[in-house]
Amino acid sequence: MGQQVLNGIFVGSIYALFAVGYTLVFGVLDILNLAHQAVFMLSAFFALVLVEHGLSIWLALPLGIVFGGLLGIGLERIAFRPLRGRAGSNLSGLISSIAMATVFEAIAAQIFGPDISRFPQGTFPDRMISLGSASASLLQVCIVGLSVLLMAVLTFLLAKTRLGRSIRAVAENPRAARVLGIDVDKVIALSFFLSSALAGAAGVLFGLAFNSISPDVGRSVELKGLAVIILGGMGSVPGAVLAGFAIGLVEVFTVAYAGSTYRDAVSFAVLFVVLVARPRGLFGQVAVREA
Amino acid sequence: MKRALLLVAFALGFACKDQGTNAPKQEGQAPSAASSSGGAVIGAALSLTGPAASYGAQQKAGIQAALADLPVKLDIRIEDDASTKEQGITVFQKFINRDQVSAIIGPTLSNTASAADPLAQQSKVPVLAVSNTAATGITDIGNYIWRDSLMEKQVIPGAFKKAQEKLHFKTAGVLYGNDDVFTKAGYDVMQKALADLQVKVISTQTFAKPDRDYNAQLTALIGGKPDVLVVSALADNAAAIVAQARQLGWKGAILGGNGFNSPAFIKNAGAAAEGVMVGTSWNSLSQDAANQKFLAAMQKTGVNPDQFSAQAYSGVLILAEAIKQSGGKTSREDIEAGLGKVKDLDTPLGKFSFTPERDAQHEPSVQQVKDGKFQIVQ
Amino acid sequence: MNLYLAYQGLIAFVGINALLALSVYATLSCGQLSLANAGFMAIGAYTGALLTLHAPGIPFAAVLLASALLPALIALPLGLPVLRLRGVFLAIATIGFGEVVRLGFVNWDYTNGALGLVAIPQRTKPWILWLTVLAVLFVLGRLRGSRTGYALEAIREDEMAARTMGIETTAYKLAMFSFGAAIAGIAGALEAHFTFIVSPSGYSFGRVVDMLVQAIVGGTAYFVGPVIGAAFLTLLPEALREAGSRVGLSPGPFRLFLNGVILLAVILYLPDGIASLPRRLRRRVRG
Repeated sequence: MGQQVLNGIFVGSIYALFAVGYTLVFGVLDILNLAHQAVFMLSAFFALVLVEHGLSIWLALPLGIVFGGLLGIGLERIAFRPLRGRAGSNLSGLISSIAMATVFEAIAAQIFGPDISRFPQGTFPDRMISLGSASASLLQVCIVGLSVLLMAVLTFLLAKTRLGRSIRAVAENPRAARVLGIDVDKVIALSFFLSSALAGAAGVLFGLAFNSISPDVGRSVELKGLAVIILGGMGSVPGAVLAGFAIGLVEVFTVAYAGSTYRDAVSFAVLFVVLVARPRGLFGQVAVREA
Repeated sequence: MKRALLLVAFALGFACKDQGTNAPKQEGQAPSAASSSGGAVIGAALSLTGPAASYGAQQKAGIQAALADLPVKLDIRIEDDASTKEQGITVFQKFINRDQVSAIIGPTLSNTASAADPLAQQSKVPVLAVSNTAATGITDIGNYIWRDSLMEKQVIPGAFKKAQEKLHFKTAGVLYGNDDVFTKAGYDVMQKALADLQVKVISTQTFAKPDRDYNAQLTALIGGKPDVLVVSALADNAAAIVAQARQLGWKGAILGGNGFNSPAFIKNAGAAAEGVMVGTSWNSLSQDAANQKFLAAMQKTGVNPDQFSAQAYSGVLILAEAIKQSGGKTSREDIEAGLGKVKDLDTPLGKFSFTPERDAQHEPSVQQVKDGKFQIVQ
Repeated sequence: MNLYLAYQGLIAFVGINALLALSVYATLSCGQLSLANAGFMAIGAYTGALLTLHAPGIPFAAVLLASALLPALIALPLGLPVLRLRGVFLAIATIGFGEVVRLGFVNWDYTNGALGLVAIPQRTKPWILWLTVLAVLFVLGRLRGSRTGYALEAIREDEMAARTMGIETTAYKLAMFSFGAAIAGIAGALEAHFTFIVSPSGYSFGRVVDMLVQAIVGGTAYFVGPVIGAAFLTLLPEALREAGSRVGLSPGPFRLFLNGVILLAVILYLPDGIASLPRRLRRRVRG
């Protein structure tokens, strides 16, 4: 029981970290960035290469995060900016993000092959901590801690800084933001940097936690991520955080009490029911329905 | 700017390319090199890309190793079925109608075989499956479909029996991949084998192939306090499952399915793999001359051999024997007739014969991981 | 003749993929991006396979009809709530539906779970397949320039405006959603009776992405676009098989890479797809 709660919090923290960036871009640009999972995957590989070259994970992790962010800026320039202002740009943006995800996956498959790669043994000190009847590894504790820290930093950035205010202004109304003298292109690029850096962080931590990185590693997380951002409310950062933990816990308890065959179906059922019954999710403000 | 960034991604990739751990697999040159020398034309449909690519790579190495010193001449053309049934069908039709092959080896996956083998049966082209383990939808397609790979039901019951003699377990927790043909078929057999041994299954959990986190399932299984964990998973998932089970404090034995039979499993699971027991159709430590020859030939290819390369290598030997049995004639009918006469052939798998249903017949063995290596359990 | 026999499978897959791309086009033609079609395809495929396996006496035409009707009927109650969602939300809801269908088949023991149904007789003849493609094209062609066609176009351009003009937007959207489901269902049944096997792994999220990509690359402004896209992207891997190995790239990643680049290029520079290329070139020559 206690162990299952820990399992849920652990996997939930990674879902949340992944989904926070996912939802941020949606809030700002109204675009579902399906290449988010590919950034997640490539960053994990990037950190893996650094570690294999002898770097400490404590250096490889931040570098992986920055790498993810830079990928995000490139992604925005190549796949999203040229579409801005076109009619129906949120659907064509979705499709160009699929194209970029495909390209990223192809690059990873060419370089690393289809097999599963893993961080070398002993990348992270292997120590167990017991909490009552349950136990967690030091790594798991660090991952939950880091995820919460990163999400707190993002929340602070959005709420208290000038950049955060600009991002929120652009999300609210890009035209008005431009009138107010905000450099909209720059703000969007920075949102992509933040979003993708978080995807990168999630990717590296995921790779460390489960010791398996492959070119398609992001795909299952991507679909779970969709359930998370819908439940949290599209565009809402606190919503994504809460929903991430919620989906993690729901999954774990489905496994414990109903059987694992229902686990994935439950996430999609949540997604479906929320969209039909309460499309704004827990905290969303974005218009979901036509008119 | 945008180009520069894209380049960063590429450069990074290519910078680490020469590390050699995952060198891209070359394709297409070696097999056709032999074509000028003549001999029977054999098609090999292997999954060189897609989800089953790691098996396809092993099979390709096995075939090439077998070609090195063979009494008869074979011109084996390797094509990629991309792990999909569509590509499998396309490749089969090209083999049958364009290349006019005398026989086909493959395809790698059972699913692809169920889709493509009927075409060969219609055109009366013998097919030798070298990795399909599904119980239905392969050799029951018709009299031109043969296989040298043992089905799960030929391996697992014996392996579990031996494991029970050693470990004396009475209860088990079962975890299996329910969205994959290989692991689901394995589970069906395991369930029956456990029932036959009167082992009580305390709980059963499932996962999906793309999953990486099995903590919830494992916690639930371990909470039931079974004597052993029984796992049916592909090598990729297997390593992570075993590692996570150990991390959750599981100290007991773990019995694996066919998917564990891979060097990649031991490499990725590390110390956690110790003690894992698996039934296998290939005894890597066999001192038989055929197996020693196979190991030596594989060393030259630079691929660490496993069950898949052993079965593919044996497949080539079996086809060569079939040609020999039909007096050196290489038409489709000759090879078909010759396959029926293959009996007690020395292969790396042991003394090999076909059952009357054209399935494989040879002695499986049980192995256990000790000191980072598979060792045969006597 | 041998050359035709050698490539007949490939040619059949062009037809099946064309139907699938058209099924995505059906909903796109009124501006709705639905990604439920892998799910509808699965329902059609299993319906057809079960009928053929358990009631071999039923004529193939009736099997195909059932494989079209069942998904079309399921699409109605599904469409009512989800078609009220705008753009991306519709896409997400329908992704959820597709995955639930796939997971349903994975867990359904009657259809052997992940193992699927095997030894389905091959009843899909090339002429049946291409007749179906032509029939779908005929229906879509008749829509063009008709009252319905104009209504769909109006909805695609501006749904609000269409509604104020008195167009029954919900009814039209629902009809096209259901029509798309029927096409996907038939395509599924045709594929099942061509490849001898159905199993859940053929209907994953990746499958619907393939359909979408083929429709978009071909072009969704005109109904032959998806067929061109399907033909182009189905034949490309065969052409690349040789080329890729010559430049020393593993063919799988190379194919994936090229697919991505082509899709990106089309979305950025050729929003109306390959089908619009001749018109564009002509305009350039004249201008």
